[in-house]
Amino acid sequence: MFDHIQAFYQPNSIREAVRLLRRGGRQARIVAGGTDLVVEGNRSIRFLVDVTRLGLDYIRQDRKGLVVGATATMASLVHSPKIRALADGILATAASTCGSVQVRNMATVGGNLASASPAADTATPLLVLDAMVVLAGPRGRSKVLLEKFFTGPRKTLLNGALLVEIAIPALSRGLRTGWSYQKLGRIETDIAVVNVAAGLCLDRAGRCAWARIALGAVGPTPMRAHKAEALLAGQMLTQESVDRVGDTVMQQVRPIDDLRASAEYRREMSRVLVRRALAECAARAGCSL
Amino acid sequence: MKSLQIRMMVNGETKDWSIAPGDLLLDVLRREGYFGVKRGCETGECGACTVLVNGRAVNSCLMFAAQAQGCEILTIEGVARGDALDPIQEAFLDHGAVQCGFCTPGMILNAKALLDQNPNPNEEEVRELLAGNFCRCTGYKKPVEAVLAAAQASRQKPWKSAPGARARTR
Repeated sequence: MFDHIQAFYQPNSIREAVRLLRRGGRQARIVAGGTDLVVEGNRSIRFLVDVTRLGLDYIRQDRKGLVVGATATMASLVHSPKIRALADGILATAASTCGSVQVRNMATVGGNLASASPAADTATPLLVLDAMVVLAGPRGRSKVLLEKFFTGPRKTLLNGALLVEIAIPALSRGLRTGWSYQKLGRIETDIAVVNVAAGLCLDRAGRCAWARIALGAVGPTPMRAHKAEALLAGQMLTQESVDRVGDTVMQQVRPIDDLRASAEYRREMSRVLVRRALAECAARAGCSL
Repeated sequence: MKSLQIRMMVNGETKDWSIAPGDLLLDVLRREGYFGVKRGCETGECGACTVLVNGRAVNSCLMFAAQAQGCEILTIEGVARGDALDPIQEAFLDHGAVQCGFCTPGMILNAKALLDQNPNPNEEEVRELLAGNFCRCTGYKKPVEAVLAAAQASRQKPWKSAPGARARTR
């Protein structure tokens, strides 16, 4: 199936990888885990640039937060104590639903984001964590908010650059937060019909200081529901306020019909999953609705 | 198109092979006679092509052979030691977990990788694991029972593996 591939490059440095990508132009593609690329079977690809030998599979803590290398696998996220301890483990939970054991041993977090499927399992938790992506291109490095990185279905800002790492800013100490990841699929490891990640921060009086909500598979890109989030800021958390957020989310999403679900079902499930996510966030923050 | 020279360890033996840049690991292993690596869906869903790469289960239909340079590969052909079957293979026979057998190599290798890391899995963990291996004959009840029984047998009598088929540490 891949007899059209003329060269398989295995660079040892980011600089070399970027140079090879630039030289190959439209005919060059990055390969890491291969779980999306091979299935896509695009016959216009002539050159592959393997980025799994660049040492980008780290997960480390620095002063500003957590930094996850682009080629860290889903399995390594699932097993990392740092990722499990972060935000009630929503990123580890999301990674644990990303395909079978075999796929999770191969698929990388950078690939999950760069493929830019609207249903990408790790995109929604990273969106609510306000993650940034670090890109390396011919003109050096840049850092962009993940929310700006996705520009359409399977489209990103990459434009020939290499996704190097994901930076997850640390939360201020002492905040009372709760987080949740919800995924609806025929079985858990399927591609999501809808997925939702949410986080809540409560102040001393038990009011909501901020709320963050992200949804996948209900629009052209994984998205933050800012309008719905704003409804909760400064409010006491009640069943009514959570219901109102669900209703707003339903108006904000732009799902499509496909083989996995109808747009109508996805819209309805957006509301259901957001309500469930917020209830779980509240419970984890030590507050009952 | 230039061919590539790669070296890998397959079932404990060093292999130097010439491959095309777009060859998948599945293609190369079958070309070299490892027919226990099954060609199933070729989209990473059925798990029939599962092999262990450095001790981790992967779908060989999704991995470029060039990426296996320097790796240790274990296929079903390398799991038994001579006539002595691995406890997982024994358990699959004892529990009647094999019908047509097409999915069996992938299941056994996936289970082997699990038991090497977690010798004491519960039923839910085994079921979650085997979600990556489709069986279209008989279902999953007997394979799940077999893996749990193999785990128990291995705990009682630690298995001494053949060279190259040993439990690998990461």
